[in-house]
Amino acid sequence: MQYALLIYEPEAEAYPAGEADEAWHAILTAHTAFGGELAQAGAMRSGAGLKSARTATTVKVTPESRTVHDGPFAETREQLGGLYVIDVPDLDAAIAWAKKLPIAGTGSIEIRPTLGMPEDA
Amino acid sequence: MRALLDRTFREAGGRVIAALAASFRDLDLAEEAFAEACARAIERWGSAPPVDPAAWLYAVGRRWALDRLRRRITAAGYRPDVPAPPPTPEDQAMALDDPIPDERLRLIFVCCHPAMNAEARVALTLRTVCGLTTPQIAAAFLTPEPTLAQRLVRAKRKIAEAGVPFEVPGPDHWPERMDAVLSTLEIAYAQAHADAAGLGPNADLAVEVLGLTALLARLVSEDAEVQALAATVRFTEARRPARLAVDGTMIPLTLQDTTLWDTGLIAEADLYLARSAALSQASRTRPGPRALQAAIHGAHAGRRKTGVTPWAAILGIYNALLGLRDDPVIRTNRAVALAEVEGPESGLAALDLTPIPGWLPWHAARGDMLVRIGHDAEALHEFEAALALGPSAAEQRYLAACRDTSRSRLSPFSA
Repeated sequence: MQYALLIYEPEAEAYPAGEADEAWHAILTAHTAFGGELAQAGAMRSGAGLKSARTATTVKVTPESRTVHDGPFAETREQLGGLYVIDVPDLDAAIAWAKKLPIAGTGSIEIRPTLGMPEDA
Repeated sequence: MRALLDRTFREAGGRVIAALAASFRDLDLAEEAFAEACARAIERWGSAPPVDPAAWLYAVGRRWALDRLRRRITAAGYRPDVPAPPPTPEDQAMALDDPIPDERLRLIFVCCHPAMNAEARVALTLRTVCGLTTPQIAAAFLTPEPTLAQRLVRAKRKIAEAGVPFEVPGPDHWPERMDAVLSTLEIAYAQAHADAAGLGPNADLAVEVLGLTALLARLVSEDAEVQALAATVRFTEARRPARLAVDGTMIPLTLQDTTLWDTGLIAEADLYLARSAALSQASRTRPGPRALQAAIHGAHAGRRKTGVTPWAAILGIYNALLGLRDDPVIRTNRAVALAEVEGPESGLAALDLTPIPGWLPWHAARGDMLVRIGHDAEALHEFEAALALGPSAAEQRYLAACRDTSRSRLSPFSA
């Protein structure tokens, strides 16, 4: 099964100096190692690290309009910082990877099964 | 006849549904197949069920589920691996003494996966592993039936869609996963035990939890905490007949007539407790929280033989327990033990160290200690606070009696 691991971190607390922060560089190195481990286990499908939520632009959609706003979709304490898509046998395996995922301080990792291709036989 | 059939279905339900669910990795299909098998049984069995009704139901349910899957697959136009067709029910029932694989442990781990909502875990376990019906579970948890049914549907959908594995977890996941299983059983038992009157659906639920803890203790015989929980629910359940006075007033543990306790259950509990202690000792690990809790119940049960409660020993166990699990329930119970060992002033000081206003046992314990040091006015206040929290009928009668005693001591002529 494929799962997305969505990484949420309190950006301002974890990386006060943004991308210039030492912690930022440390976490990038850790993610490189983690990605390597995933690939070696044959579980890596894809993934992306995201730039700071300060760089986010949001298109808000209503039935009538689509308007462009500055900032992430919701002002929350934790922001989406990146994601992996992994291919593992079951939820327990996905949880095991999520528990190993590098996080600078506090944070959350949401595990979501991805939609399969309809009956790909 | 129908009552006999219902009882047979009920007794077979857990094992048959669990075996079907494990083999098809689909809880809904398993339940439907079991229901279908029961419907056929009503038509076919006539005046008497077969020798092994569970085997019959399993075999018929399995064939039905296989047919169902094949039709689904044909409709979808492809054929993944499908298990080979099973022998006929008669063949199967004849072939082995115990033809149904016992998959209940696997199913307990599926239903009590930490990724499942805690309330759903309890309901799902009772439904799938014990074979309780949705109305029965709804009655025991005082939950409207549609709400519970929805919760079950949602939980089953999550298991299927999120890829919860139908496996007993490996050793590295064991501690976390087993804790989720044991807390689920604790929640189920707490519900069964909540009302001292404990009749009807609650007493039935208690029987199910006794069965589940015994099953788990048998299947996971090397885990000290599993053995300990089996002991605790038995010690507690043994006291059920002594928990109520004739007029329906709750009787606190230390005032219960020990001759009313169920000696059979206590004997079973003693065995589980001894096994738990032996396992801790053999593995040279410190006893876990559930082992300590069971030891406390065991100490209380000792009053049946000696006539006295060993408070100093109980206080010692609470101290150890507090080191493992610092929660308000343990703090309050420890304060009660402390009051018995060092006097009510010490108990009161311990209670006031971490006040829990709005929590009934804390107010009741405080009221009791205040009475013992002669502060009836303050005690009266605590009993009233406890009564305002909406206790069960039996507790309400008990607390009201405490309140009235304090009140009459304050103004003896108005009573």
